Amino acid sequence: MKKAVVALAGNPNVGKSAIFNALTGAKQKLGNWPGVTVEKKEGICKYKDIEMHIVDLPGIYGLTASSIDEKIARDFILHNKPDLVVDIVDASNIERNLYLTLQLIEMDANIVIALNKVDLAESKGYKIDAKKLSEKLGLPVVPTVAIRNKGIEELKRAMYNAIKTKIKSSLRYNDKLESVISLIEQKVVEKRVLPEYPSRFVAIRLLEGDEEILRSANLQEEVIKQWILQRS
Amino acid sequence: MDFATELANARYELIGKIISSSVKKVSKPKSFSDLVDTVVLDKYLGIPIFLTLMWAAFQFSFSVSAPFSDAIDIFFGAAAEWAKASISNEILASLVGDGIFGGLGFVLVFLPPIAFVFVSLAILEDSGYLPRAAFIMDRVMSKVGLHGKSFIPMLLGFGCNVPAIMACRTIENDVDRKITIMVNPLMSCSARLPVYILFAGVFFSGYEGAAIVSMYLLGIVLAAIMATVIRRILFGGRISPFLMEMPDYTMPSLKLVLNSAWIRTQIFLKKAATILFVGALFMWFLTVFPWDATGGGEILDNSYASLVGHIMEPLIKPLGLNWKAGVALLSGFMAKEIVVGTLGILYGVESEEAIQSALSQDFNPITALVMMAITLIYLPCLATIGVLKRELGEWKLVSLVILYELVLAYAVAALIVVSGKVLGVV
Amino acid sequence: MELMRLSELREGEKGIVVEVKGDLKTKLLTMGIVKGTEVKVVRNAPLKDPLEIEVRGYLLSLRRDEAEHVFVERR
Repeated sequence: MKKAVVALAGNPNVGKSAIFNALTGAKQKLGNWPGVTVEKKEGICKYKDIEMHIVDLPGIYGLTASSIDEKIARDFILHNKPDLVVDIVDASNIERNLYLTLQLIEMDANIVIALNKVDLAESKGYKIDAKKLSEKLGLPVVPTVAIRNKGIEELKRAMYNAIKTKIKSSLRYNDKLESVISLIEQKVVEKRVLPEYPSRFVAIRLLEGDEEILRSANLQEEVIKQWILQRS
Repeated sequence: MDFATELANARYELIGKIISSSVKKVSKPKSFSDLVDTVVLDKYLGIPIFLTLMWAAFQFSFSVSAPFSDAIDIFFGAAAEWAKASISNEILASLVGDGIFGGLGFVLVFLPPIAFVFVSLAILEDSGYLPRAAFIMDRVMSKVGLHGKSFIPMLLGFGCNVPAIMACRTIENDVDRKITIMVNPLMSCSARLPVYILFAGVFFSGYEGAAIVSMYLLGIVLAAIMATVIRRILFGGRISPFLMEMPDYTMPSLKLVLNSAWIRTQIFLKKAATILFVGALFMWFLTVFPWDATGGGEILDNSYASLVGHIMEPLIKPLGLNWKAGVALLSGFMAKEIVVGTLGILYGVESEEAIQSALSQDFNPITALVMMAITLIYLPCLATIGVLKRELGEWKLVSLVILYELVLAYAVAALIVVSGKVLGVV
Repeated sequence: MELMRLSELREGEKGIVVEVKGDLKTKLLTMGIVKGTEVKVVRNAPLKDPLEIEVRGYLLSLRRDEAEHVFVERR
């Protein structure tokens, strides 16, 4: 049996626990993230010839590492390099939920979207075209209603496929911003800044003034500003 | 050149594009959640509804769980008796009976209230009400350096600090959570009540209610003060943000609620329970040895525990307390309910009336207040220490809690004694 | 079209976000309070603080002193 590590990510209140339970059933393990008192839930989900080791990340709104929860999630994705990240998006709250999705894409993660609570979204008057959404995001999108076990089989199938054939979304922001990002990314590659992380991710973080990335790279904000000014 | 803002704008700009082609907003009738909030967060109805729900959660957690705790208590009490009757070797009998069964019973008696608290919490969380409760209470809580979400754990502390401290898991912000945990023991749990009732009954006859309530209020005031102090000293006065999403109301799923409560109860069993059990065995040892002198725990006067009491006496004499009070307070370290029973054993009396007359000889109204205040403040009980370690993670912080409580207890007691002298009462 | 702080909007009033400042900036931006976003003050808490706003289809509550850092144009 091939083993794969799958991280479950998503905002708080999206129904991550329900999805985790639906995927892992009774086979769950509880512990702590190393060095902190934050709960860590792990479980197993077997599908065809893959044994998926599911790790439930803390619920987070973003990946800026400004809180312990964000730091845990980000570190896990960067250091443990899971084979797949299942991003659970609350369909009734889709705009804010996609913010995390975009940051996961920036991290070059292999992503499957579980579009949860589609029933609630409908009752609130939203009509979501999952196919169109999938097209625009460049990622598989599986509608689910986790507490009623709907869409879970389809989710497992999508997870299986994504583990076998990794998909990378190639979403880009507006041209003006992208030119600055490319500039920084070039420097990052040239100077071999944090080569163990995806270069686009490092570039975007340096641009944002992410304290932890700046510290790990041994760079100051002024240096980044210089890079931008030099070229323009 | 604020790229952080630029990036955030760009991300949401892209999201807007993606949404516009894949999501259609059909209509916006008032959603179910909005309707409920109109009532639940109403200017006038909001607080009464909140108080009612809090009362219900409290009752469910403590009153409904009480019969289960009693059953466990009776069961292990019987098991202890059986062990003592069946085992010929006296010391072994006492170890298995009072030590092991007594210790196990002592730990497991906490299981029902803890489990019920977690069920209440899970319902409040899953239903979506918890953020509303925090929303309502934040103004009051933040004035004392706490967070709106601190209210429920602090309230639960009036029942028992053990599940209350575990309830702090609902507080997302790490600093807020730690502070709430560290001041929670000042909320006067139900185990301290027998001590108040005993002393208030003897020395404040006619005003028992006021005397007892004053202890609860004292606890609240001290918690507010210590929250501010701890925030300033340990966390640099940082005020954590409130910024909180108000999710839609949902029908709590029984499966998820029970699952969540079970997982959290397991955590108590695994970590806190071990410390408790070891501590219980230790206290058993102190009260029962030297074996011959105490006659197998019958004569508390000759035990190591009372030796400790005598050693403590010079420390507590200025507060007007003798070694017997010291031993009683020491036993309270194990569980605060035991203080009254220990006093009974030390004064060699069984009935309430007999204890009352015995006490009036060694205490006076001022020292009675001292006894009550110390019981409120001096130490978290063993069970509480167990969960403090589990939830705070470091012994450093736990030691800090014990230390500040000891110092605070002594200071408040001294203040009471001095006030008594100044006011010419004593 | 007046520029004011989010904390100054009254119950039921709407505004378009112009600028976000302060220590909480990153969090506010993450939550969707970026330039051009429409926000609506749904209600104040029974004790007047915090306040609850509607933004991007969801409800967010924040303290008055946190809302001070969000500048909006009242609609």
